[in-house]
Amino acid sequence: MPLKEEHILKYLNTESDTKNKSELIDLLRNTIDKLCFDDCERDRIACTLQPKCSRRHLLKLRIKSELKIDDLPKFCYSVHKGVVERFFRNKTVIYRPFDAYLYLIDFLDVFFHGDYRKLNKFISFNKLEDAFKIFDDRIHNRNEKFEYLKTDNYLIFKFEDRIHVLYLNEKYVLCNANRESITSLELLNGICQLYAEIYFPEVKLAFIPSKHVEISLKVPYDILTKISREPLQDNDSKMDQYFWNTFWEDLNALTQYCDQISLHEDKNQNLEIILHVSLLTNNYTEEGDKLKLRHRDLRLIFNFATRIYTEYYILWI
Amino acid sequence: MNDTEKEVVEILQIKDFVKDGRFDDAVHTIGLYIGDANENEYLDRLENVIETLLTLHGGRTVLRFLIENLIIDIPSLLEHLSKRDPVLRFTFLLLLKTICEKECDLFLPYSENLVTSDDPNVREAALQLLIYMAGGDAIIDDESLIKTILIKLSDEKDFVVEKALQTLKAIGIKSPKFMTKILTDYAKEISEMAENERIKDLIDEILKSIVSIDKIEEIVEEEIESSEAEEKIELLDKEESEILNKEFELKKKKLEIKKKKLELEEKEKEILEKESEIGDEKEIKIPKKLKKKEEEIIDKEIELKKKDLEIKKKKLELEEREKDLEEKEILEREKALILKEELIEQEKALSQVELELKQKSIEQKEQKIKHDEMKRVEEELKKVTEKKEDNTD
Repeated sequence: MPLKEEHILKYLNTESDTKNKSELIDLLRNTIDKLCFDDCERDRIACTLQPKCSRRHLLKLRIKSELKIDDLPKFCYSVHKGVVERFFRNKTVIYRPFDAYLYLIDFLDVFFHGDYRKLNKFISFNKLEDAFKIFDDRIHNRNEKFEYLKTDNYLIFKFEDRIHVLYLNEKYVLCNANRESITSLELLNGICQLYAEIYFPEVKLAFIPSKHVEISLKVPYDILTKISREPLQDNDSKMDQYFWNTFWEDLNALTQYCDQISLHEDKNQNLEIILHVSLLTNNYTEEGDKLKLRHRDLRLIFNFATRIYTEYYILWI
Repeated sequence: MNDTEKEVVEILQIKDFVKDGRFDDAVHTIGLYIGDANENEYLDRLENVIETLLTLHGGRTVLRFLIENLIIDIPSLLEHLSKRDPVLRFTFLLLLKTICEKECDLFLPYSENLVTSDDPNVREAALQLLIYMAGGDAIIDDESLIKTILIKLSDEKDFVVEKALQTLKAIGIKSPKFMTKILTDYAKEISEMAENERIKDLIDEILKSIVSIDKIEEIVEEEIESSEAEEKIELLDKEESEILNKEFELKKKKLEIKKKKLELEEKEKEILEKESEIGDEKEIKIPKKLKKKEEEIIDKEIELKKKDLEIKKKKLELEEREKDLEEKEILEREKALILKEELIEQEKALSQVELELKQKSIEQKEQKIKHDEMKRVEEELKKVTEKKEDNTD
């Protein structure tokens, strides 16, 4: 039987001799360095069109490890930044740069080109109020379409349906967040707040520190009374179609990503749906550990909340 | 409608044309769209066009038309793309791959200048296009171009060196013998300087990549064949020089004939002019039927002249053939003469041998006669002495 990935992982976890472990890791590190700095960057065209690591994830390894730009394969990083920029400007790209990490200054250069030096200075020296003035000016006076929200450690941007998370302490940015897991409850709460402000402002959000975020949705009594009591007929309305067919499927799907979903009637006989969203999902790894909540999972929850809010709540208030 | 809206409309129009297969209209619209741009707008518009073509089925065909019609000029395009991000630059190069493979004539004439451009991005792009061309149907055997690429092995930019290396490997795969010769010659040229060690290593790498065991055998066989061929060529050269002398003489004769022809034509013209002068005077009176007849006659004359020309051509061809035959005859005669001379020499040698033999036989006969006479004289002397003794008794 050939040596497999799990054998190496297990060895690294169980081996007691640290010298052996470091030798193995050295081998891996040398291979990565050779791949990045020699094999891949040697031919710039191949590096641009067919990078040797898929979607340049080895750059992510270096940036998330807080290495500086000098420790990165420079041409590869410049292409990576170019791809993010082209995707932002809706131009043709070789791959869609989801979960792409950029240094703060490069993120600002791509998304706020004219003001990127000033913004970099303000954010780096924690003068965020000055930075917000520039953002607001761009939104209100320069007709730029984006939203932002600041939490203690993050600055979250939303351009169209794409989320970018600026890590204020680490000075790097996760662009086009998709499959990356959400790293903290603070970030989870921030993203929920940002989406709620835009798509479902009257929905109640509750942040339970170190536990979860609660999203409370309501289906008014008026709506509930209009839903057919019998299973579907031929002339059923769109509402009947939804509540008899899709609603329970949506809830079923959300059970994978929510800690808990509770349905009950409030004092006014409205149906209250409370989604408890934490950093862990109800899906499991092969080892039996819970999988972490990803940005794309959260989008499913928001789609559900937006639908309930716009189609069955806001019209009836 | 402001400028940006206008641009969007134009791009949409181009897209529609390409989608409908109206490539000529698309090319025309793109020509106007790019042509209207000022210096600042040019690059953006070019990028818009490329972006549009990249995503469309049929975009490649339109691109080929644009290059063929010189609406997009390859050297200036590469120079402009150099200022853009690598993703666009290299994606565009990839778009040109098929055209390079199938129609390298569109690009090959520019290659040498582009490879020596001051801009390293242009050099890199030009070399990449050459790699695509080498991967196609054509065989790149321009010695000057290959030497230019070889020089790029010592380029200041590593990425250009890498591309030059790849290009030479790609070219060498199809013509290993040709490439091996150029590379070895170049290696000899630079071998004296110590700083060229790296280039020698690179040449070594190229040679290793293009020469396999099978190809080595081919190269050796070709070399043996070529040495034999060289000997033959020497002989042919001699023959050629003789033929050339004869050709020269023939050309002289042809020139003389041409001179005479020209003189005749001038005379004809003079006669025609005189006729036309007379004709003008008569034209007013000549009816239309006659004019038609005249035209018919002229047509027939032209046809006759054509036939004459054809006959002359055939005559010339025949003359050439005859000359060839004569040359062959001369060669055969020469060979026959040589053979005769050899025979005569052999005959002479034989006659000498015969003479010698005759002389020997005469000498032998003389000796015999002398011997016989001696015997006879001795016998007579014996007889005389016996008679004398008898007498004394």
